[in-house]
Order: sequence, then C-alpha cells, then structure tokens
Amino acid sequence: MPEVSSLLPIALFAVPAGLAVIAYPLARVARPLGPVLNLLGAGAAMALAVPIAIHTVQGRVLVSLSRELRADALSALLVVVISGVALTAAIYSFPYMRLEPLLDRVGRAAGPEVTNRRLATFYTLSLAFLATMLGACLPNNIIMLYVAVEASTIASGLLVAFYWDRRSLEAAYKYLILLTVGIAFALFGCVFLYASAAPHLSGEAGVRGMLITDLSQVAHYIPHGTALLILSFFIVGFGTKAGLAPFHPWLPDAHAEAPSPVSALLSGVMIKMAIYAFARTVCIFFPVAAYQPVAVFIVVLACFTMLLGGVMCLAQDDLKRMLAYSSVSQMGYIALGLGLVGIGYGQSAAYLGSYGSLFHLLNHALAKAALFLAVGAIIYTMGGKRRISELRGLARRMPVTAVIFFVAAFAISGMPPFNGFWSKLTLYLAAAEAKLWWALGIAILTSLLTLVAFIRAGYHVFWSDGEPHVGESEVREAPLAMLVPMGVLAGLCVLIGLYPQVVYPLLHRAALALAGIQ
Amino acid sequence: MYNLKLIETLSLIMIITSVAAVESHNLKRAATAYCVQALLICGLILAFAVGNPALYIWAAVALVTKAIITPWLLLHYIKRTGEQEVPAIIGFGPSVLLVSALLIASYTLTHRYVHFLAPTPEAAEGAFRTNLAVSMTVFALGLYAILSRRDAIKTVIGLCLLENAIHLSLVSLAPETPETALVGIATEVVITVGMLLYVIAGIREQIGTTDTFELSELHW
Repeated sequence: MPEVSSLLPIALFAVPAGLAVIAYPLARVARPLGPVLNLLGAGAAMALAVPIAIHTVQGRVLVSLSRELRADALSALLVVVISGVALTAAIYSFPYMRLEPLLDRVGRAAGPEVTNRRLATFYTLSLAFLATMLGACLPNNIIMLYVAVEASTIASGLLVAFYWDRRSLEAAYKYLILLTVGIAFALFGCVFLYASAAPHLSGEAGVRGMLITDLSQVAHYIPHGTALLILSFFIVGFGTKAGLAPFHPWLPDAHAEAPSPVSALLSGVMIKMAIYAFARTVCIFFPVAAYQPVAVFIVVLACFTMLLGGVMCLAQDDLKRMLAYSSVSQMGYIALGLGLVGIGYGQSAAYLGSYGSLFHLLNHALAKAALFLAVGAIIYTMGGKRRISELRGLARRMPVTAVIFFVAAFAISGMPPFNGFWSKLTLYLAAAEAKLWWALGIAILTSLLTLVAFIRAGYHVFWSDGEPHVGESEVREAPLAMLVPMGVLAGLCVLIGLYPQVVYPLLHRAALALAGIQ
Repeated sequence: MYNLKLIETLSLIMIITSVAAVESHNLKRAATAYCVQALLICGLILAFAVGNPALYIWAAVALVTKAIITPWLLLHYIKRTGEQEVPAIIGFGPSVLLVSALLIASYTLTHRYVHFLAPTPEAAEGAFRTNLAVSMTVFALGLYAILSRRDAIKTVIGLCLLENAIHLSLVSLAPETPETALVGIATEVVITVGMLLYVIAGIREQIGTTDTFELSELHW
C-alpha cells in the first residue's frame, strides 16, 4: 500500500495537546472558556480525523516523522471513533459540568473557588486525555505506543477522582495502581521483544526505530519460548488496560465513579484504544503459524470476559456499574474477533473475525457512550440518584432519554434492526466458520444475558409504577445540550443498523489491515 | 570494555536496597532505601555508557526523576500521612523468608536461563547477564511488595521498584531506544507516582488512614 508523507497525524494529537496546555490558565481567567476550548479540541480532532480516514479509504497510508507515526485504515477508524465520541461528550459537558449542580454534588463547603479550579483542571485533563488517546493510535514505534497508552492513564487518573469523595478516590487509586502495574508488564514485553528482534533488524534505522512494521517481518526469528513470554506480557499489559477479565477489576469502579462525560470516554473509547494497542502488538507474531494456540487462548480469554461481564452486569443495582460490567462483556466480543484473526491470520478466513471485531468496536463505542450519557441525564435530573431500586417511572417525565436508553440498550444486546445486531452476527458467523462452537454458544448466551439485564434495568427505571420526585419539585427532561449528543449517538446506532454499508468502506480497509491481508 | 566488577557490585547492592525498601516498616527509611537504589541505577547506567554514549542522557534523566523528584515526593507525602507503615498481610519473619526465597529463585533462574529472556550473544555476557538477573529479582520483589503490603504508600514504593527493574533491563537490553521514548518513560513514572501520592493523601483526608483494606466502599 503506498505510503504518503503527511502532517495530518502530527496535527491530530498536537492540536488537542496544545489546547490542553493553554486551557488551564484561560479557564481560570474566564470560566466559560474551559468548555469552549474542550469543544474546540474535540471538533478540531474530528476535522483532522475525517481527512485521514478519507486518505486511508482511498488506499493510502499516511506517515510522518520518518515512519515513526503511521496511520493506516485501522488507526483511522480508531481516531474517527475517538474524536466522534469526544465531540459528543464535549457538548454534553456544557450543561452537565455547570457550577451549580456540581456544588450540590461535591458539597457547598468546598466553595465556588475550589470548584472553579477543579473545573479548569477537568477541561485541561479532558483535552490531554483526548490528545493521548489519539496519540496512542498513531505510533509505529512500539515503545512510543507504550508511552502514549501510559500517558492516557495519567491524563485520566484525576478525571476519575474528580468528585474527590471516598468512592471516587478509591476508584482512582485502584485505576492508577492496577493500570500502571499492568502496563509495566507491556513495557517489559517491549524490552524483551526489542532484545530478541534487534539482531535481525537490518540497518541503524531499523534498530533505532523499533517499528512495528519491521518487527512483524522478523517475528519468525524469535525463539518460540521467548515469543510466548513476550506475548503473555502483552496480553497481561494491554489486556489490563482493555478491561479483559481477569484483569478488569479497576474498570467497573473507575467507569462508574467518574463524571458521566468521562465515563462515556473511558467506556466508549479508551478501552478501544487499549484493544487497538493489544491488537497491534500481538499481531506482530500472528504471521507465524506456530502461534495459533495463542490466538485460541485469546478466544478463551474473550469468552471468559464476555460471560463474567454478562453475569456481573445482571447482578448490579447501580446503573453506571451495570453499564461498566456490560463494557467488560462487550470487550470480550471484540477480543473474540481478534482471536479469530490470529487463527487464520493473513488468509481470507481471518477477514470475517476482523470485520466483526472492528464493527463491534465502532458499535459499542456509539451505544455505550449513548448509554452513559443517558444515565448521566438521569443522574443530573434526579439529583445524583443512580440505583435501579431508587428510580421508577421516569418514562413519562423523560421520554427522550427513555427512547435513547432503549435504542442503545437493544443495540448493545445485538437486537435487530440496530447496529449491534450486524456486528454480533458477523462475529457469530466468524466463530462458526472457525468451528469454535463453544465460543459461539457463549457469545449468544452472553447476548441474551445482556438483553435481560438491560430490559430489567430499563423497565424498572422507566416503566415501573410510581411518580419520580427530587425533593419537592417535579422531574423534567434533561436540557437540550445533553439530549442532542445522546440523540446523535443513538441515531447513528439506528442508521448503521438500517444501512450497515455506510461504514463498509472504512471498516473493510481496516479489517484487511488488522487481518494482515494485503 | 565494561568494568565488570563495578557493575556486579552495584547490581548486588541494588538487591540489598530493594529488600530494605520492601522490609523496612518505617516508610521514611524505605523511601531512603529507594533513593539509594535510584543512585545505584544512575551508577550502573554510567558504567554501561562507556559502551554507548547515548546512555549519558538516560543517566541524567534517571538522576533527576528517580533519585531526586520521586524520593522528594515520597518523603513529602510520608510527612503528611505518618512514618509508620500499616502492618502487612505477612508478618516480618515469614516475609523475610519469603523475600529470600523469591530473591534466590528469581536471581538464579534468570542468571541460568538468560538466553530464554534475551536470545542474543550480548545478553549472555557477564555484565548483561548479572544485570538482567538483578532486574528480574527487583521486579519480583516490587511485585511482592505491591501484593503483600496493606499500606498504600508502601504499594507505591513497590511500584517504583517495579519500574526501576524494567528501566534497568531497558538500559542493558535496548540501549538504542530513542531519547524521546526514554524521557517519556522516565517522566511518566514520576507523574504517576506523584498523582498516586496525591490521591492517597486525599484518601487519608477522607477516611483517616492509608490502609488499602479500608478501601472497601466499592465491592464487586
């Protein structure tokens, strides 16, 4: 595929990073500037991600900084999804992160000055978080990939702790410790990979660069035992960040305790970025047929993740924790596709798994972001209540939120005519084609579990008898600036469900890149 | 080319500092042991820099981030949260036995099977071989501290050991790593440690202790 030198990949993360640098002082001077800059950063990222996607759909690969950054269709898909979800979260933040409701949440004792400072930090870190997530989808250098992934943990740590209460601090502590220890394994994997590949890489540039594209050429020289050790370090390292079970315990805490727009980013796109890093590193070894058992192991891990997430999702009373566990289970589906890619890597058999995995990545990002924002709208209007057992009869008061919740919930559960149906169907077909009947059975069972969990929660929250009240006042629908981003995400779930071919050109190219089909 | 004696001596003292950092129940002393270890790493990097001048930058970055900023951060927060460590899951006696067993096992195993981790002729040379064995040992000790300690600050010290171990192996196995990546890796560790300590100070304010067993608000 022709490689074209371009500045777009650099600009893509440099613009939000630059805005993050100036956001804090500006937001301290004038409070309204914080959300505006955040929106500007996400908008600019979207405006730069779309041309990258167009280039890659036309068959070009964009490279910069002597191939240190490399954007193929797979990277392009990720950056479009990340900037799209970030854009909706940025719009949503305008009403959600206003001073008054926040003061109610964090306690008026803290005072407006402290809250103002926190808000400025929030917008600065949101921009930094966006920049690091975009940055993680571009490096071709494996060490820089690690650096960017770790940077995204750092940028989001204090976003998780935003409310600074007992729960959010506990979540942030677990988040930082578990992800840092986990990702330390990935760095160890990178070091050993480097040591064993370096003698086989030709030329000074090859050795210095440690480019993923070069490493996959020499993977077959690496002794089997060493390669298995490296692979297990990558699976633990990036798997932790991607929320794969049993490395997932940080996920429900962090995703549930963060402010809702941050939850939408964490669950919607951050774990997708991690699975991207997982795929990029693990796929280095897939051209060698001897590593097929590793791919089967990934399928086992994926099925375990799916099922565990599905069961835990059913057992939750906290709406946000339920969504977080559902994310664990849906990451299992994406990982299932990746495992299937490994089983038939480089051949047409890998294509279906690859397409299904990436299609589900996109669909889950849209639906889960919509769900977190919809639950955020409930929390916003109900004064912080988010337990299923505390909420009832909201459908009449919040009809738009109810519709969005159910659309996204059906999409996640893989019900037709929504987008999730197509991606899950593709994954089922891919599992059947690989003759992994047990994986197929677990995937279908988990879908049913998800459906039951969401119908149970949705029914109780929206339709059960009872009149919702917040203190003395009546409950009203969330403001328009919150409904529009939610509506757009849910609308896309319907649109892609009805016309799945809309996303075919980009997904097709990305699936070919992931499956190693030239 | 390398001063083998020096590298081996520094490496072995590094293991002693790791044990001290893990086993000392006084957090201030543990942080000091960590600081000494960081200085040893700088010494080791300088010893390796004879063969690869690019490592001088690494040594400078390690000195600033590991030997100055990180210990300062640790001591600063220990002053606020108290010097005495929350008792660990395992008592002192059994813990020392466990640490010794872990130490001997990981050192001898890595030293003997170094070709498994890094199948290159360089890695089999004396200096690299010792270095890699030390790095795996420190890694194991760091992981042990994270898993067995209840005190949040001690867990952070364990994390620092873990990172030191990886950086040591990075220096000996992948010395050609680009400078931007090296600076990125080293800075990220400091920021993570600073952020963790900041969050731990918040936890101490909210619940009055740094005992991670008290973090039980969020169940499965």
